[in-house]
Amino acid sequence: MNLLELNDVTKQFGGLTAVDKLSLSMEKGEILGVIGPNGAGKSTAFNCIAGVFPPTKGEVIFDGQVINGQKPWDLCKKGIARTFQIVKPFASKSVLYNVTVGAFATTSSRGEAEAKAIDVLKLLNFDDKKDAKSSDLTIADRKRLEIARALATEPRLLLLDEVMAGLRPAEVDEMVEIIRFLREQGITILVIEHIMRAIMALSDRIVVIHFGKKIAEGTPEQVASDENVIKAYLGDEYGVS
Amino acid sequence: MTGKSMTGAGDNNTPYETEDAFLDRSALARQVVKDTINKVLLGAVLILVLALPAVISSPTWLHIIVLIFFYAYLTTSWNMVGGFAGVLPLGHAVFLGIGAYTSTVLSLQYGISPWFGMFVGGILAVVAGMVIGLPTLKMRGAYFALATIAFAEGVRVMVENIEYLGPFKLNGPRGLQIPPLNIGWADFMFSSKVPYYYIILGLLLIILFLTWTVSRSKLGYYLTAGGEEPEAAQALGVNVSRAKVIAMALSCFFTALAGTFYAQFSLFIHPKSTISLDISFEIAFIALIGGRGSIAGPILGALLLRPVSDLSRIYFGDILPGMHLVIYGVVLILVMIYQPRGLQEPLTRIYDRVVNRMADGFIKGGDK
Amino acid sequence: MIYLIEDTINGILMGSIYGLTALGLTIIFGVLKVINFAHGTLLMVGMYAAYWSVTLSGLHPYLALVIVVPVMYVFGYYLQDIVIKPIFKAEKDVREPSTVIIVTTGVWYVLDNLTLMIFGPQYRSLPDNPLQGKMIELGEMFVSVPKLWGAITAVVTALAVYYFFQKTRTGRAIRACSLDRDAASLSGINQYKIYNMAFGLGTAVAGVAAVTLVPFYNTFPTVGVLFDIKGFIIVVLGGLGSIPGAIIGGIIVGIIESVGPQFMTATWTEAIVYGLFLLVLFVKPSGLFGVKYDW
Repeated sequence: MNLLELNDVTKQFGGLTAVDKLSLSMEKGEILGVIGPNGAGKSTAFNCIAGVFPPTKGEVIFDGQVINGQKPWDLCKKGIARTFQIVKPFASKSVLYNVTVGAFATTSSRGEAEAKAIDVLKLLNFDDKKDAKSSDLTIADRKRLEIARALATEPRLLLLDEVMAGLRPAEVDEMVEIIRFLREQGITILVIEHIMRAIMALSDRIVVIHFGKKIAEGTPEQVASDENVIKAYLGDEYGVS
Repeated sequence: MTGKSMTGAGDNNTPYETEDAFLDRSALARQVVKDTINKVLLGAVLILVLALPAVISSPTWLHIIVLIFFYAYLTTSWNMVGGFAGVLPLGHAVFLGIGAYTSTVLSLQYGISPWFGMFVGGILAVVAGMVIGLPTLKMRGAYFALATIAFAEGVRVMVENIEYLGPFKLNGPRGLQIPPLNIGWADFMFSSKVPYYYIILGLLLIILFLTWTVSRSKLGYYLTAGGEEPEAAQALGVNVSRAKVIAMALSCFFTALAGTFYAQFSLFIHPKSTISLDISFEIAFIALIGGRGSIAGPILGALLLRPVSDLSRIYFGDILPGMHLVIYGVVLILVMIYQPRGLQEPLTRIYDRVVNRMADGFIKGGDK
Repeated sequence: MIYLIEDTINGILMGSIYGLTALGLTIIFGVLKVINFAHGTLLMVGMYAAYWSVTLSGLHPYLALVIVVPVMYVFGYYLQDIVIKPIFKAEKDVREPSTVIIVTTGVWYVLDNLTLMIFGPQYRSLPDNPLQGKMIELGEMFVSVPKLWGAITAVVTALAVYYFFQKTRTGRAIRACSLDRDAASLSGINQYKIYNMAFGLGTAVAGVAAVTLVPFYNTFPTVGVLFDIKGFIIVVLGGLGSIPGAIIGGIIVGIIESVGPQFMTATWTEAIVYGLFLLVLFVKPSGLFGVKYDW
């Protein structure tokens, strides 16, 4: 059974249709990349899955259950975690504190939560900075913190929103390794990204969204040579015909 | 520890400690000494405070100190929702009033022990707090603040204008007087100020302990997270509104307990002395000036500002009425502009520096 | 029945004046997105200014507008500039500018008590003023003249403010700033100057309200508290930031206050207004006209 399914999901804001009958599915253990020009509706679809707002029409199904309209904190308990495009660390607190908040999703004991947090930090080779104030971190480290926090909630599905934005090439490569590592831990991952080489390298499959609609789907190679995709990114003159 | 090497091999392969290891070890030693100093100081303060009535016999001074503790208690209790939950309750005195009136009415009309009435008052306060809190804690902070003011003033107007609430005699603006008939612990009534001193001290220690426990608990983490970045917190499983509501319930309950204390201590309650906006603001201002969200802040605020208030009332009371309130307001504005986290921040830094120096002194002394 | 109509009319008139008192609050919120907790106090300052202008000069109360409005504008302008701006800057990107609320509450407190200290707690009124106690007879009903003047002033002021925001260059600049700070400043508008002006404008409008009140309403140091709370009620009812909402919200409150005592004691009507506020907060926080924010 698919871990995540979107069936004809549509999201309208007043007169604007941001997402138009989007359907996709993810198997357990997959890495699905979602790309598309700016304003295509990727983040809106993302937020529908993450519980920020419910879809206007259509269904979001997680592990066989319709989750339309459920709140982010309930979805977290069910196993969906997400990061934010503009990172939101709890700035005045330490790295360990940040991750511990996530760890509390699975336990009520502070001792346990902290231990779990340290484990997560060790997993990401981040434990040497555990007492650093999160507002003092570099952008690459803050992105790592976002992932560590989300990881501490023991998710089955991890939604990553442009987690590589603002990183240098070496840092991008590091992030790719981390995401691959997470998949090895058994987590299913949906990645929205603009950095092409990263998403081509990472994804098992890619979905391309344009004007709220899915215009292509397939392996990275298939998508890269898809005519509609090329037109969407480069304009109509560049179609291969 | 860090992944630095702890040992090396020098001439003749004799092992030695690396410099990093030495520094780590001395940092650890320093921390241990600092912790000990902190514990000793805390213990000293505790002993001082417990023994105070033996040293100070003047009832006037005891009265003043009792009121300082009273406000320290109120501000710490306020801090639960105003500091940890990050919202701005500006009508908190209404819970004080609920506590005071509940236990007083129950004891005057039905002869029920004020201790029991105190507990009932706490429950009623929680119910009232839920009525305002449940809808408004989901909304923007300003709405919550306004709702607390409207509720407090609404209740005050109501109490000031009715004689009876159902079968309960509230006596409107004239208030209720508590005749000091039955003395003793069972009736929460004493002829000397000393037992009151210990009761409020006990309450203060309880609320401090509770605050400390909450700050280290899941609720505390969730409240802090929800206050700093509500969206991120929600994505991590935090039901921010619910955490705030719980904090509100705790705060209301404990504030109401102080209401009963006040009633039994001053033997007279009326709307102006218990539910006034002045009291609500004073509590909020003290907590904010001291530093909300921290444990020490509210107490520091009370310790610093209440004496100012009392002194200015004594010296300026007739010529310049309300001077102490002007002082509060000006200090509040200045603190918010220059030290928004409250005075506890610079004061804690000074304290840390002092303790550091003491610790260094001990270590150096030990090395000789 | 006739009393009901009379009460309703007086309620509408008084309500328009309430709306005027709340107008400044809604302007400041609409532009700065700040709920100015000191608003009632500013009204009180205006009332004292009007009182002293009339007492010292012997002029007709409404002529005091000439003095009070500019004075209040300047006062509001610099209050924002000196006291509120630093906090505002610090909290620019914060979702919950709670420190501004705290500071405006502090200002409220300081001004109220300073006034108490300087002028004393006594209630002041203008017993000899030309509007005092005058009534117009409409058939069997009596309509209060000062309230009538006040209501007309309220409507005129609201229209003037509306026109200002819609048609004048400065007004549009202010509106631009309220919609998107950064975009506006990129277009060459000095944000902070705009905020100062908006605050000054809101305070000046409070000054107008004060002048209309002084002929028939007592002036005393804590007069602002009740208006502050009523102002919030009106603004929440009518919608934060909406000019017509302020007037209409005010009229609703005015009618309840006037007609209420027919059916219950006057003090209960005060409690009813609070209850109505809480009800509106719980049911429809954006009010009747307000824009739905992401509460």
